[in-house]
Amino acid sequence: MVAIGLMTGALLSLAQLFVIAMRTNGSSRNATYAAVLAQQKVEELRSLTWGFDVQGLPLSDTTTNSAVDPLEPNDGTGLSPSPASALQEDTPGYVDYIDAFGKKLGGGGRPIPGTAYIRRWSVEPLSSDPDDTLIIQVLVTRPGSRPQPTRFVARGPDEARLVTVKTRTAR
Amino acid sequence: MTRFWRDDGFTLVEMLVASAILLAITGAIISVLNPLHAAFGSQLEVSDEQQRLRAGVDALARDLMLAGAGVYAGPVAGSLDHYVAPIVPYRVGSVGDDPDAGIFYRSDTISVMYVPAASPQVTIRNENPSSTGVMTVNAPATCPYVQSEQLCGFEKGTRGLVINGRGQGNLVTITGVQVQQSQLQYVDTIPVPDGPGRFITHLILATYYLKSDIATNTYQLMHYDGYQTSLPVVDDVVKLEFEYYADPEPPRLLSGILLDDPVGSDVTYGPKPPPAGADDTNDSWGTGENCTFALVNGRQMPRLPVLSTGAALVRLLPEHMTDGPWCPDEQRSQRFDADLLRIRRVRVRLRVQATVVARRGPAGTLFSHGGTARDGERYVPDQEISFDIAPRNMNLGR
Repeated sequence: MVAIGLMTGALLSLAQLFVIAMRTNGSSRNATYAAVLAQQKVEELRSLTWGFDVQGLPLSDTTTNSAVDPLEPNDGTGLSPSPASALQEDTPGYVDYIDAFGKKLGGGGRPIPGTAYIRRWSVEPLSSDPDDTLIIQVLVTRPGSRPQPTRFVARGPDEARLVTVKTRTAR
Repeated sequence: MTRFWRDDGFTLVEMLVASAILLAITGAIISVLNPLHAAFGSQLEVSDEQQRLRAGVDALARDLMLAGAGVYAGPVAGSLDHYVAPIVPYRVGSVGDDPDAGIFYRSDTISVMYVPAASPQVTIRNENPSSTGVMTVNAPATCPYVQSEQLCGFEKGTRGLVINGRGQGNLVTITGVQVQQSQLQYVDTIPVPDGPGRFITHLILATYYLKSDIATNTYQLMHYDGYQTSLPVVDDVVKLEFEYYADPEPPRLLSGILLDDPVGSDVTYGPKPPPAGADDTNDSWGTGENCTFALVNGRQMPRLPVLSTGAALVRLLPEHMTDGPWCPDEQRSQRFDADLLRIRRVRVRLRVQATVVARRGPAGTLFSHGGTARDGERYVPDQEISFDIAPRNMNLGR
């Protein structure tokens, strides 16, 4: 009985290792997808107009809705400055919901059925150059992985957080 | 005193009971371990798929991010789109060139061009080099890595961009180098621009495409260097698709800058037209016109339409990219659709499959190409990822 007990314990420990390995792989996959989704939002926001017109006057996109695919020219916030809590809680105009296949489900203030990833972003004018330079941050998290709302904005497990700077440049 | 062992052994009943217990426990453990072992065995393949996806994303994102980077210093510093379309949806190069075959769109192929960072600008001394196919250059003493068959980093097969002081440019391929004579032999498809202040700088040309060979069961993301070398980047790639998103506004003249100003570009993007009373002999467009501007009532107006009223990017469809107007003009084999100059964002879809056939199930939603796996624990479904890149140098001023 003692021998059988030992063998059972050893084999169940081995099984536990299998489970841990598979969970780690799943977590790695989630981290990869979260990073790609965060980068995708950065690229979408970077491609919005933030330059000068042919007269040399500042031109800013403040209406594009990037929570849908394809982007819509109206009903969105474009590169308008976001509320301070945009990364901490789902804020309409600064969040979109993504399914398990990376497809946008839409925006709003609460997750849509089928949501696998929540993507929040913030747009903040740089304090030393508020008219021409923006700090854009994107956080991708999973539903239920952090209580809502929370002041905790550091990157957690299976999450991705990217920061970029967009500056108005003359042609 | 009580003894814990006996010298007379076990009875048959004791042995049978012990064996039954052992068998029951072992069977229960194996019934748990067996599917776990099968699933665990697939984890290597799962992580390999993820690794290949990451490698594919990295390779494509790196070159796409740099697409359109032009000369970094001097009077013509700026985006490459003032001379060529830095992103085109087909293969470009010395071997298997798509425009030569009359092909101007492939959904699974992309070519990008950019001037590498800190590339030297080498002044061209001789006039009208197109007549001889030889440039005599002033190689500055600071030129990097001068070797026996290299001149300022130019060697056989190198791509170059020639620009003159008026901001006109064209691509060439170096076919030979004479270091002692400071000469570069080259071929071009459109004569290199003449005029003072001409120089040549390096240009990177990279084509990514999907290789699908059913006969050999080979599916690869390939990279072609525009000259003679094609190399696989990632194995078992079963889908590669590109979508293009464009600036809805056509190129426009910048106000306050004269067209005959030798310095700087005079348009929001794309090649600048000649002055209203002059003709560019390198194309068949009329006086004061080029592929992006037409002369209407004496004024230079955009040829391309406004794609939408808002500022949001608009998806370019294949017909947009193959219907002209053509740059430099329709007669050139090495032409490109002027709408390609509008590209501001590229969406890439990449899908990889398990390399081991025994980890793939029947072809369908989960598997692009079927395998021999019969039970779900052994399945390693294809993984697909979609990502966007907004090339930094094609969004200048946006």
